[in-house]
Amino acid sequence: MAAKVHQDTAIPEADVYGVGSFFHLLAEPDVKVRVCNGLACRMAGADEVLKAAESAGLPVKACSCLAACDQAPAALRDRSVLYQISRSHIDACGGDWKKLVTDATKADPDFRGVVGPSGSDPEKRAIDLLAEPDFSGQAFAKACDLGAEKVIETIDGSGLQGRGGAGFPAGFKWKSVRGQADPVRYVVLNADEGEPGTFKDREVMLRRPDKVLEGLAIAAWAVGAEEVYCYLRGEFEDPWKVLSDAIKRSEEAGLFNGIRFHLHAGQGAYICGEETALLEALEGKRGLPRLKPPFPTEKGLWGKPTLIHNVETIACVPSIIQRGGDWFKQLGRTGAGSKLYCVSGHVKHPGVYEMPLGVTLDELVEEAGGYEGTLKSFSPGGASSGFLPASERTRPLDFKTLSEVGSMLGSAGVTVLNETVNMAWAAQSQLIFYEAESCGQCAPCRIGTRFLRENLDKHLARSSDASKGNLQPLEHVADAAWEMNEGSICGLGQIAALPLTSAMKHFPEDFE
Amino acid sequence: MTENTAILNGQEIRFEPGDTILTAADRLGIDIPTLCHDPRLKPAGACRTCLVEVKKRPKLAPACATALTPGMEIVTQNERIDRHVRTLLAMYLTDHAVSGENSLISEQGTGNKLIDLARAYDAPLDWPSLDNIRKGRPTDVNPYVAFQPEKCIACARCTRYCAEVESVSAITMAERGSRTTVFTADGRSLMDTTCELCGGCIDTCPTGAMTEKKPLVSQVDSLKELEKVRTTCNYCGVGCQMDLNVDPDGNNGRGKVVKVTSPPPGTTTNDGNLCVKGRFAYDFIDHTERLTTPLVRGEDGQLHEATWDEAYRRAAEGLIKVSAQHGPNALGFVSSSRCTMEENYLMQKMSRAVFHTNNVHQCAAT
Repeated sequence: MAAKVHQDTAIPEADVYGVGSFFHLLAEPDVKVRVCNGLACRMAGADEVLKAAESAGLPVKACSCLAACDQAPAALRDRSVLYQISRSHIDACGGDWKKLVTDATKADPDFRGVVGPSGSDPEKRAIDLLAEPDFSGQAFAKACDLGAEKVIETIDGSGLQGRGGAGFPAGFKWKSVRGQADPVRYVVLNADEGEPGTFKDREVMLRRPDKVLEGLAIAAWAVGAEEVYCYLRGEFEDPWKVLSDAIKRSEEAGLFNGIRFHLHAGQGAYICGEETALLEALEGKRGLPRLKPPFPTEKGLWGKPTLIHNVETIACVPSIIQRGGDWFKQLGRTGAGSKLYCVSGHVKHPGVYEMPLGVTLDELVEEAGGYEGTLKSFSPGGASSGFLPASERTRPLDFKTLSEVGSMLGSAGVTVLNETVNMAWAAQSQLIFYEAESCGQCAPCRIGTRFLRENLDKHLARSSDASKGNLQPLEHVADAAWEMNEGSICGLGQIAALPLTSAMKHFPEDFE
Repeated sequence: MTENTAILNGQEIRFEPGDTILTAADRLGIDIPTLCHDPRLKPAGACRTCLVEVKKRPKLAPACATALTPGMEIVTQNERIDRHVRTLLAMYLTDHAVSGENSLISEQGTGNKLIDLARAYDAPLDWPSLDNIRKGRPTDVNPYVAFQPEKCIACARCTRYCAEVESVSAITMAERGSRTTVFTADGRSLMDTTCELCGGCIDTCPTGAMTEKKPLVSQVDSLKELEKVRTTCNYCGVGCQMDLNVDPDGNNGRGKVVKVTSPPPGTTTNDGNLCVKGRFAYDFIDHTERLTTPLVRGEDGQLHEATWDEAYRRAAEGLIKVSAQHGPNALGFVSSSRCTMEENYLMQKMSRAVFHTNNVHQCAAT
């Protein structure tokens, strides 16, 4: 395969091979079934499903989070995500991976996750996943009337913060890209959702592709870009379909003249959700995060000023333009806007709930039908936010308040764990994820993720035998975690130890 | 403060546009540890050993890849940086094959910079080791370059050298995360790639993961000090400088060349580079069939050892005789690309001025 690409492109064959070997979906074409080993999926029995698939002789492997924690356990058949898979589905396919289906995916090809809260006022929801798509293009038209300066002022004034994880002020990026001397600029959509516990971007693209495209169009127009690149993770077969239909529809209707949309499929690498790794992947390279500065707003895609936004962030834009920055700002409680919270794990109705920024866990879970069992711990913002104890259940889930306790809102992928979960086991799930998804470029992360996982494994193996209580393998965890945070190039390595260190801090009894 | 000044460890320094923290520190003799840095390559900032503090930046910055800006305030040594370097080196060592004193030197004449730094910074050596899971290419049949993945720190110096300096791109970083390794397309032998076997990957490797397959050096006690003798490569006229690594006890105490290395980058015209001939074709030196004196064919039809004077005289007589009998254009002179520019000049001078013919050629001209 590398030879063929080399012939067609004149890119050195070794480089092609290096890129291919980086991305799991390309590197292992013979693996046809992948079972998610994310925490929510493991809590729902993914380990058993994987074992069953292996003994059924399927070409199967475990894989990292499939952005379907609300439909756990999830699996991937070729490029299609199968929701709520169980042992019986494996048995039913009779050893033929092509015949593998689940009740959820078989019953309804247009299957959507649970969204809410259904009782709340639609006027209080910036994205509104419960409403039908609106392809009138009114927000874009209004943006054109307002003029670019006014649009950027509005975004800036709305207090919109990036909803992919970092919470960076959106207006700052728009101003920066618009202010660059280079006349060629790009807008990039980061739809490489893969943070364990997070599946909101999937639902936004499935339910409101109109908001995504219109937000992108407004952004492109405001910063002076003509080309928009949408990077969707390769497993997002359904969102891809919906988004490309929406692009076709908007093109036919001439909604966003002068702006061209391009779709690009990821090939299995969580790290490409990191914006500069995403740019590298878009350029056809291994997904290694770049050193910053320079930031993408100055030198982004192909060295040009680039505005990159997460799906949810960009989907907030149309209603901000239509209703104004102040309207958006006051939707939130302790921060600006309404926010899509993903809830999964031990709750009655896992799903995506759009609520004021700064709700508490208890309020959120109440909308999700209540807890299953007794709350023990939760991750407020994906694996990267670590674990918090139940005592933090009344803390506002926002960017600032969570950082005060060494956690973060991140992608607002809230995973709820009840009393049945051992926190050392939960931490192990997250460490497996980070080790598998580290790009390998810098040593603190490449070695650290593996060092922590191996030593936790050793500790757990030791705990189960007679010498229980011996903490030796975890001796260097604090130092390794410190170095990973200080020395890693990107956010993945910087926070990869947090699930373990926070679990050890708040639940020492689970490590005895 | 003038435009191009910065503050390095409390001292005001002037810098040139484009200077990095590392180049400025180097000039001042301030030591910043590096592993992935090679001045011939674009800075990667990937090994993280050179991280320093830059005021107003919450995160440590790589000295190799951070350009100085006016007024920048840098600290290269304090408790935080010291803890960082020591901990990082401890982590590197968990993922690096180290067993016993002798293995600290990977190969004669090739230091292991990781070990050197670990010692210099007193890094903890007692962290538990990880199993090596990086793939190598044990079936690669190329005669010169070996790769030991268990000693690789994935700094990508070799692959970057191959692409950026040699423009060959025969090797690549492959896979990812803790499995990241140096590989060829489909894991083929270097012989079946674009590789020119220049051995630059061996030269730039800081830890001895890339080593020479040739056997001479491995026959020398790995702890013995080798003597380096600087010489000019005589395989072509470029004039690359190279260091003959001599085992002083070899050849019954006469000394034996067991390896060739290039002088460090930036010190000679070849800037640390050599080609396959210069780096690897040195075993002719002690070859039993090597001619060490001129041979002249005698009346008996056999070759006999002769002095240079005898040999020159014999050649001159032959040339003059042919020219006298058949005219100058009956002669032709072919020079070798192993000769220097000056020697080639003299050859055409002899052809044209002494023997009056333009029949002169040099093998590299076609």
